[in-house]
Amino acid sequence: MREVGIVGIGHTKFGKSAVPFLDMCCEAALEAMDDAGAKTGRRNVINQVFVGTMGAGMVNRISGAASAVVDTLNLRPAMAETVENGPASGASAVKLGYAAITSGLCDCALVIGGEAMREVSGWEGTDFVATMLHPEGEYRYGLTLPSFAGMFTRLCMEKYGLTSRDLAIVSAKNHANACLNPNAHIQAKVKLDRITDERYIAATNPLVADPLRQYDMCPVSDGAAALLLVARDKQEELGFGNQKFIRIAGIASATDTHYVADREVPTDLLAVRLSAQAAYRMAGVGPEDIDVAELHDAFQILEIEESEEAGLFPRGTGHLAAREGRTALGGDMPINTSGGLKAKGHPLGATGVSQIVELVKQLRGEAGERQVSGAKTALAVNFGGFGNNVVSTVLQAE
Amino acid sequence: MWKDYDIVVDEMEGKLRPPTIGLKPYEAKVIPLTTGEDMIVREATREELVLILDTIEPLLHHQKDFYDIVSARIYAEVLGMLRYRVQDEYCFVGAVDGELAGIVNGRMVNGKVGMSYHTMTLKRGARVGAQLFAAKMEYHFDFMNQDEVWIVAESPNGFKRWMIEYELEPRFGCPHELGGVPTFVLTRKLWEKHRANKNVGTRPAFEDVVEANKVLRAPAKLSV
Amino acid sequence: MEQMYAYRCTKCGKLHHPRYIVCQNPDCDGREFVKEPLEGKCKLLTWTRVYNLPEGYMVPWLNFGIVEFENGVRASGQIGFDEGIESGMELVSTVGIVKEKVIKYKETVVEPQYGFIFQKP
Repeated sequence: MREVGIVGIGHTKFGKSAVPFLDMCCEAALEAMDDAGAKTGRRNVINQVFVGTMGAGMVNRISGAASAVVDTLNLRPAMAETVENGPASGASAVKLGYAAITSGLCDCALVIGGEAMREVSGWEGTDFVATMLHPEGEYRYGLTLPSFAGMFTRLCMEKYGLTSRDLAIVSAKNHANACLNPNAHIQAKVKLDRITDERYIAATNPLVADPLRQYDMCPVSDGAAALLLVARDKQEELGFGNQKFIRIAGIASATDTHYVADREVPTDLLAVRLSAQAAYRMAGVGPEDIDVAELHDAFQILEIEESEEAGLFPRGTGHLAAREGRTALGGDMPINTSGGLKAKGHPLGATGVSQIVELVKQLRGEAGERQVSGAKTALAVNFGGFGNNVVSTVLQAE
Repeated sequence: MWKDYDIVVDEMEGKLRPPTIGLKPYEAKVIPLTTGEDMIVREATREELVLILDTIEPLLHHQKDFYDIVSARIYAEVLGMLRYRVQDEYCFVGAVDGELAGIVNGRMVNGKVGMSYHTMTLKRGARVGAQLFAAKMEYHFDFMNQDEVWIVAESPNGFKRWMIEYELEPRFGCPHELGGVPTFVLTRKLWEKHRANKNVGTRPAFEDVVEANKVLRAPAKLSV
Repeated sequence: MEQMYAYRCTKCGKLHHPRYIVCQNPDCDGREFVKEPLEGKCKLLTWTRVYNLPEGYMVPWLNFGIVEFENGVRASGQIGFDEGIESGMELVSTVGIVKEKVIKYKETVVEPQYGFIFQKP
């Protein structure tokens, strides 16, 4: 099968965007193109553009985002499609970019992920995100993603002995990492005792979806990220011969029940396990080969449970590994060096692409103070819905 | 810019000033914010009342989220305090690292009933407004020992944070001073029900936080 | 009075809630279902109290839970009381208004929405 690699990366500062949705997507796209040395107009070599976004239609009232981007960036007549897979829109866009190249439909694909959620109020944003739940069985009740995360956390606490403090440890770790990431939404040194002290935890870390607290959930962010994918056999010819080629070694997705109550084992994230295993198989590696990982931590409980389902730690011990500092920057299995969704931010459609941007930096050796030394193989897990559609990607340095 | 100056308190001035039931002092407290910073909540000094007037003047024309009407009314209320023309009005400030973060005010109608005026957040995104609103309710119930506080809201944010989150009792027959809009009441019973979730802070206030906020200045960048 | 239903596959008899288009039994491909009332005693598997609600829910918080009925069917819904909610407790299902106002047609038809509200037996 044709080899596909990443030769250009772009990323806006996540947070409150000063520019509209399309401008933000283009900013990230141009950064990726400039990084690779790709041109627009007559010298354009990109023949496919994918834009991953969940809310452009519903929240920003823009349909056909990819068609708009291709035009304004002067990349016509490149093929263009907008991809929607909830919060996994970004990684799904990458997967489709990969598939478009390996199938021979194109040689060079620009993949962008973007979201401008802060255009609407917090209450409307919560409602919009809840639309991915089961319409008859869940959405009608006012159930939200945090509601399911809260119920899931309670089950994990009862089954594995995981505590609220463990979640705070992961959160503090992610915030510390984000202080080293200029593109992160939140850059604040969070003191662990401040968010766990009983005396004023109601002010510093209030309950949002019992037992989940404020610091266990990611913020609402605007942002965009982009990647330039190229076929190995065309890398030189298309003008990217001088770029490091970070190979997409494995990429796969899997689905689980839409109605969360119908999950076979309520504490399992089956779609994470299946997609990660398929990605490992494709890449010819195992979890023990992963040097650094970006795991979708919209709720801190997910970082812990995904790390187990992806095989990085034995089931039921992820929180122990976090307690021991193994997942921090200096640890033996660094997770979310970018700051994760918690502190880097979570513009839904951008996240899947943003995770891969961070991993590419790690594998290129360009992650600065966040660099994991000698990183050669990396894993990204992008979680859609409440775990009913998950995309896993394995990247390898040359 | 409002200039403060001494006024002669003669017989006429005495007739123009309101009577007082005697306001108790509000003990300062420190509330750790969700951003990791410490906010002090205390009574505004006279100099700070003048600072408030200058700080909110530019917001008189800021229509987003109803900052225009709230600042216009706070301006009148704080000016009323400075000029001794409002009965038993109090004004508290929230401050972070010497910068004004928020303002709350209200007044005592009598020993049993309080009239809440306004809550304005200058430092957005850290729940400053919610904390300051709880602090002034604490003043009415725990310091001044009142039975109920009358509350109205000018913005949807206000309505959601107070009328819904505190489950305020609608009492539309009662005329609130602020323009005849529907009045909602925080009774002692509702206060006791919701206070654990809402009212926090450490007393006595940490020394270093008191020190850092001894002299206040307007926010460097006012972005509401 | 609204009624909540489970859907029984006419081919293999497997019970479903909520409505599915194709039978979820891995060895069955049935597409026809028969409605039967879903109600009665159930066990609370997990729960949460949520303070940040979506637009349109004018209450300070809501309690939600996932239950399992005696016939094995699981369901999500609101929990109708505040005190003493514990995983594993026995509850009984009722049907009530879960959202006060839902716009059914533009601005002229606004109706309440019904669904499961689990109560103490």
